[in-house]
Amino acid sequence: MFNNSSKILFTAMMIIGTLITVTANSWLGAWMGLEINLLSFIPLMSDSNNLKSTEASLKYFLTQALASTVLLFSVILLMLKNNMNYEISNSFISMIITSTLLLKSGSAPFHFWFPNLMDGLTWMNALLLMTWQKIAPLMLISYLNTKNILLISVILSVIVGAIGGLNQTSLRKLMAYSSINHLGWMLSALMLNESVWLIYFLFYSLLSFTLIFMFNIFKLFHLNQLFSWYSCNKILKFVLFTNFLSLGGLPPFLGFLPKWIVIQQLTFCNQYFQLLILLVTTLITLFFYLRMCYSAFMLNYYEIVWMNNSQVNNFTLNLFMLLSFFSIFGLIFISMFFAMF
Amino acid sequence: MKYLSICSIAFMNLISVSIVCFILSLNFLLNDMIYFIEWELVSLNSISIVMTFLFDWMSLLFMSFVLMIASLVIYYSKEYMSADININRFIMLVLMFVMSMMLLIISPNLISILLGWDGLGLVSYCLVIYFQNIKSYNAGMLTALSNRIGDVALLLAIAWMLNYGSWNYIFYLEIMQNEFEMNIIGVLVMLAAMTKSAQIPFSSWLPAAMAAPTPVSALVHSSTLVTAGVYLLIRFNILLSNSLLGQFLLLLSGLTMFMAGLGANFEFDLKKIIALSTLSQLGLMMSILSMGFYKLAMFHLLTHALFKALLFMCAGAIIHNMNNSQDIRLMGGLSIHMPLTSACFNVSNLALCGMPFLAGFYSKDLILEIVSMSNINMFSFFLYFFSTGLTVCYSFRLVFYSMTGDLNCSSLNMLNDEGWIMLRGMLGLLFMSIIGGSMLNWLIFSTPDMVCLPINMKMLTLFVCISGGLIGYMISLSNLYSVNKSHKFYNLSVFMGSMWFMPFISTYGIICFPLNYGQVVYKSFDQGWSEYFGGQYLYKKLVNYSQMLLLMHNNSLKIYLMLFVLWILILLSFLILL
Repeated sequence: MFNNSSKILFTAMMIIGTLITVTANSWLGAWMGLEINLLSFIPLMSDSNNLKSTEASLKYFLTQALASTVLLFSVILLMLKNNMNYEISNSFISMIITSTLLLKSGSAPFHFWFPNLMDGLTWMNALLLMTWQKIAPLMLISYLNTKNILLISVILSVIVGAIGGLNQTSLRKLMAYSSINHLGWMLSALMLNESVWLIYFLFYSLLSFTLIFMFNIFKLFHLNQLFSWYSCNKILKFVLFTNFLSLGGLPPFLGFLPKWIVIQQLTFCNQYFQLLILLVTTLITLFFYLRMCYSAFMLNYYEIVWMNNSQVNNFTLNLFMLLSFFSIFGLIFISMFFAMF
Repeated sequence: MKYLSICSIAFMNLISVSIVCFILSLNFLLNDMIYFIEWELVSLNSISIVMTFLFDWMSLLFMSFVLMIASLVIYYSKEYMSADININRFIMLVLMFVMSMMLLIISPNLISILLGWDGLGLVSYCLVIYFQNIKSYNAGMLTALSNRIGDVALLLAIAWMLNYGSWNYIFYLEIMQNEFEMNIIGVLVMLAAMTKSAQIPFSSWLPAAMAAPTPVSALVHSSTLVTAGVYLLIRFNILLSNSLLGQFLLLLSGLTMFMAGLGANFEFDLKKIIALSTLSQLGLMMSILSMGFYKLAMFHLLTHALFKALLFMCAGAIIHNMNNSQDIRLMGGLSIHMPLTSACFNVSNLALCGMPFLAGFYSKDLILEIVSMSNINMFSFFLYFFSTGLTVCYSFRLVFYSMTGDLNCSSLNMLNDEGWIMLRGMLGLLFMSIIGGSMLNWLIFSTPDMVCLPINMKMLTLFVCISGGLIGYMISLSNLYSVNKSHKFYNLSVFMGSMWFMPFISTYGIICFPLNYGQVVYKSFDQGWSEYFGGQYLYKKLVNYSQMLLLMHNNSLKIYLMLFVLWILILLSFLILL
């Protein structure tokens, strides 16, 4: 990623844009941060040798620009109506703002650009899109007080994320749908309080990073690559797929911890119906993660053995193993530390 | 570096503990002493769960016998199992078996009894399936599941025992013997004992367990597994005497004795004949026990253990020599080729028949004379004496089949007395089965029972034995080439030869309905309705929805953006209108 010196600049600008947004005390400042973030992410995405990523960057630009425009428009409208005051008194204006931010983050009724776009990105860009680019819009959503549209978005996000991933063979789209599903969880965490959302987001980022790190190294883009992947080292394969289950949120692994927290908070708030939908759809995501894991977990699975002596950096493997260690045993160790103190 | 064999180590340890136990039991017997050791584990709501050990002359004597037989059996296994690669595992299993038995013997507490009881069941399963083949697996499963019924009964008894706040039954038996709850416990304990001792509805596992290696059979059938039930009932004997329970047990055990004796006469498998004779002797112990003479049952238990272990050891030596064939029709003339083994075999057989002044004579003769003096009905009396005759009959048949005549086995088969290790193990028990009866008689019954019978009843025992021997000799005369007379009464001989159809009833008979019904349920629910409308239907629907969703994703980006703008316009119009 850092083979081009301009990318360092753009990465830094992208980070600065997000920071401007989350620290802004006016809507205009927030909008400005979003624009900086958008404009510096687009050069990171586009690659003049790759048609698909150029197309993706264009799609990203169009969607985000539309969202930013409407955001700016509604903010101006708000100031006009309220005599240059940022206090949001009208629920419809806040609904418009929330809609734009939902479009920016790619959550459910406005998610249609997201999987298409992911299909054209490199893994590292996909990771940025799935994690870093979510911070600013979600942070802004947390400033608003619109339960209704958020609740609809939560329910639709988890359903779309679960159902959409069921028939996927492209790993990037799969991760995109998984991201939408997790976004649903994050939004429901957001409705409860911000620290729960932050915890969820951090764990989600860690788990996604672990997986995408591996996908990036081995250039895995489709499901059938997984089945014949690295059959020379069964343990590595097993660990990779256990990370999948961790991302899906299967209890003994770390991915369950943020879900656990959200489940507990929702139960305290008596949001049982929302919780039910979240849990049921998570079962569906777990189902297709598990389906992918057959080749690694089953003893008698038909697999093609390639004689690929790929030279993988030892440091890379060690890093992956470290991350996987956290991802697999994290919950157990956290519980143990918690019990100790 | 040479290692000491595990058999030698185990032998030395067991025999020394056995001697210590024997001396202690003599001391306890002389001084009429009982040691009771209690360790409280949990005390909850006035219910205490305690680990208790009861050392009296009975448990110590029994322990010393079990340990002595086990030590000799292990010594014997050193040669018998020498070709086996897993001999270490085998010996360890046997040791665990003996340990479970110890736990059972010294526990006067239902919970700690259950520990030993379940240990026996589990290890016996491991030992029966030791030779890993389908037949052993089936036999092991039959053994384990039959014994499981007894385990469940014992667990239920533990649950009922909760009424009394403690599980040390010895404190409650006498005082509570007329209570309804105590009678329920009695029924359950009797059920448990009947499964372990293979009384009539549960008899079929005992011959099946012959799939175990012969040293195990020697141990299981003499002093450990099957006698556990008898021993348990000896401890519970107060509940049996003068009650309906005792009468019921008398009937069942009498029938067991009769059935097993009859079946042994039709059997051609060497080990199965001996197994059936064990069953018959167990019936004898149970029936005398159910009449209230628990000391006699204990006496017979101990003497029987001695000669039955010897009998199995001899059978093992013979099976070794016959190239692992157990069919007695292929034997014959063994007394010429392996004289020392045959001598042991004959002594133990005669002891089983009750030949005067051998081990079996003292206990068996005493039992029969006590029975003659008691008030029992004609049917039970008939069962006692007819079974005694049958015992002599099948023993003599076995002796004449295997020891006399010509060798019928394949050619190029070398017969000899086995090596000295096996013989030494056998000779140790030979000594015991000659002197054991009189020794125990003088120890246990310090004042002899007074027996007063008319001459014809006194002679009845002798008469049935002699006539039984004659019939056994005559049966043995039929050989492979003559017309087998039993074929003329085919149905009857199948009935009597197959333990009154019990193996079929307790396997196919029980499993038939559940298995068929399970097939129906599996076909129509697991693979039918619940599969079609359950998992598969859900999956199909989800995939359909997924396809619909992906169809929506297949549009151009501008449509999504237009829709977003439309949505914003709707919101705006609301904003303006409202």
